[in-house]
Amino acid sequence: MAGRALDVAQVLPADVRAGERRGEWRRFAANQRALAGAVVLAALAMSAVLAPVLAPYDPSEQRSGAVAKPPSAAHPMGTDNFGRDVLSRALWGGRVTQAVGLLSMAVSVIVGVVVGGLAGFYGRGIDAVLMRLTETVVTFPTFFLLLTLVAVFGARLWLLILAIGLTSWPITARVVRAEFLTLREREFVQASRALGAGALRTMARHILPNVVPVIVVAATLRVAYVILVEAGLSYLGVGVPPPAASWGSMVADGREYLFRAWWISFFPGLFIFLTVMTYNLVGDGLRDAFDPQRAVVDKPRRV
Amino acid sequence: MRRYLIRRVAQLVPVLLGIAIVTFVIIRLAPGDPASMLVDTTLLSPEELQRFRAGLGLDAPLPVQFVTLLKQLATGEILSLRTGQPVLAMIADRVPITAALLGGAIVLSLLAGVPMGVMSARRPYGHLDNWLSIAALGGISLPGFWFGLILMWVFAGILHVLPASGAGPTMSLQYTALDMVPYFVLPTVVLASGLLPPIMRYTRSSMLDALAQDYVRTARSKGLSELLVLYRHALRNALLPVVTVVGLLVPLLIGSTAVIETVFAMPGIGRLVVEAALNRDYPTIMTLNLMTAVVVLVSTLVVDALYAVLDPRIELE
Repeated sequence: MAGRALDVAQVLPADVRAGERRGEWRRFAANQRALAGAVVLAALAMSAVLAPVLAPYDPSEQRSGAVAKPPSAAHPMGTDNFGRDVLSRALWGGRVTQAVGLLSMAVSVIVGVVVGGLAGFYGRGIDAVLMRLTETVVTFPTFFLLLTLVAVFGARLWLLILAIGLTSWPITARVVRAEFLTLREREFVQASRALGAGALRTMARHILPNVVPVIVVAATLRVAYVILVEAGLSYLGVGVPPPAASWGSMVADGREYLFRAWWISFFPGLFIFLTVMTYNLVGDGLRDAFDPQRAVVDKPRRV
Repeated sequence: MRRYLIRRVAQLVPVLLGIAIVTFVIIRLAPGDPASMLVDTTLLSPEELQRFRAGLGLDAPLPVQFVTLLKQLATGEILSLRTGQPVLAMIADRVPITAALLGGAIVLSLLAGVPMGVMSARRPYGHLDNWLSIAALGGISLPGFWFGLILMWVFAGILHVLPASGAGPTMSLQYTALDMVPYFVLPTVVLASGLLPPIMRYTRSSMLDALAQDYVRTARSKGLSELLVLYRHALRNALLPVVTVVGLLVPLLIGSTAVIETVFAMPGIGRLVVEAALNRDYPTIMTLNLMTAVVVLVSTLVVDALYAVLDPRIELE
């Protein structure tokens, strides 16, 4: 009977159910690692938003008197081969990298949710076709295809975002499908169908709100992944088009001067690492908070 | 088993055809003329340009060009648009380098990742486990090219113990395979840094499952040493899922050779993909994409087969 009581609670609209979620935020806040990640993440995001205010210099201003100077009080991260301030460039570059990361993630998650949702809800033929497609994208080294695409079409920001998004959705599709598969059989969904609700309404109003935690976790971890992909492409010179500089292209710019002026490559790369790491920390923390069952499985079982 | 293998190989055909079409369409839909990559087309008269393009087969309708390309591929006559060399020979030249890098990275990350996973599972949520799991998270968060540059700076620029880049000593014309080894150390480590964390994580969770089993309790109560229990009894059963993970990570690993081989100036397959893509050498790109797809699909097939061999309870269907 306990199971049934739970199902009745699930029929309530999302705002009534919100109270049940409180435990998740408490669990997240108790996870020091995830909390630290969230703080750094917020700082990195703020630094991107406030780059025009925070940057001590004009990122493209070249100073012939200060070429490739090591980190100092005036230039905390040194200057590059054109005498530009590395910190200011990294702050502005962070806007590009983080914006491209978030937008690519949005494309990736939307495609993943639609594919996974349809496959899980309808099952059978649709499921078989969509899952075969997903499997193909997973097994294929998509980075080569991505490289080909952006290299031949030339550097275009929207194309880069779309291409990264369209090659990174399968993992999201798989977890969303699994959720839809189990929720489809639940009583509150059956009840909604029996009351005459259409497929679209059932999916959007009754199933999707319950899949939100899974989507949030997948989306957070996806940002980490797509930032690495964009950084790799930008390092190869086919990512974010100039004159905009992303962290990846800044690392590439410093490669020639690596042995004489390590700071030109080092600091932008450090920003990539920090950003990706914090998204991973927060994503892991959210997963444990939303899904305590999983964390318990990992706990030691004494014999 | 045989029926399973036949079915899997048959499934390859539509996937490969799809990849061929997607690659071809992407490149031929892109603005600009592939011929302009070979010559400055503005210097040619319209007639000369037409003759030049006809010589490359670029004047035929696209579907005809596609079929011609597939035929050339099947007979091994496919030529690079950029160098005019046979593509298959170009690839064959470069396969050993990438194969050595991938093989080295897989062996290295298994040798290090599995024991680390076992140690993690010994005391879950203990100090060691916590530090290792943070390190694993750091490992998957490292941009390979940046990590590669840092290693290069430290080991070649400061310590002078390893060469910075290249696949062998360029000064002498004659060198043995042994002389090449130092050149492979850093790129192999960088590739392994992406593979090790997932191997470690999977070993850990798989070991936790194994350690909770009755046979482990039996082994312990017999008074066997902890090492023997961990490695002889638990790990043997825990390794199976780890094999699958390596198989699943192969596509990602192959993809990352493009960046790593560029960083370390290694003339391997990944670098060839970058060069071909930047030069719109579409016969080469298409061949490379198809070949990597075959390698990936075959490796997943091998993993599945291995799974069935290692665990007789699993039946492939």
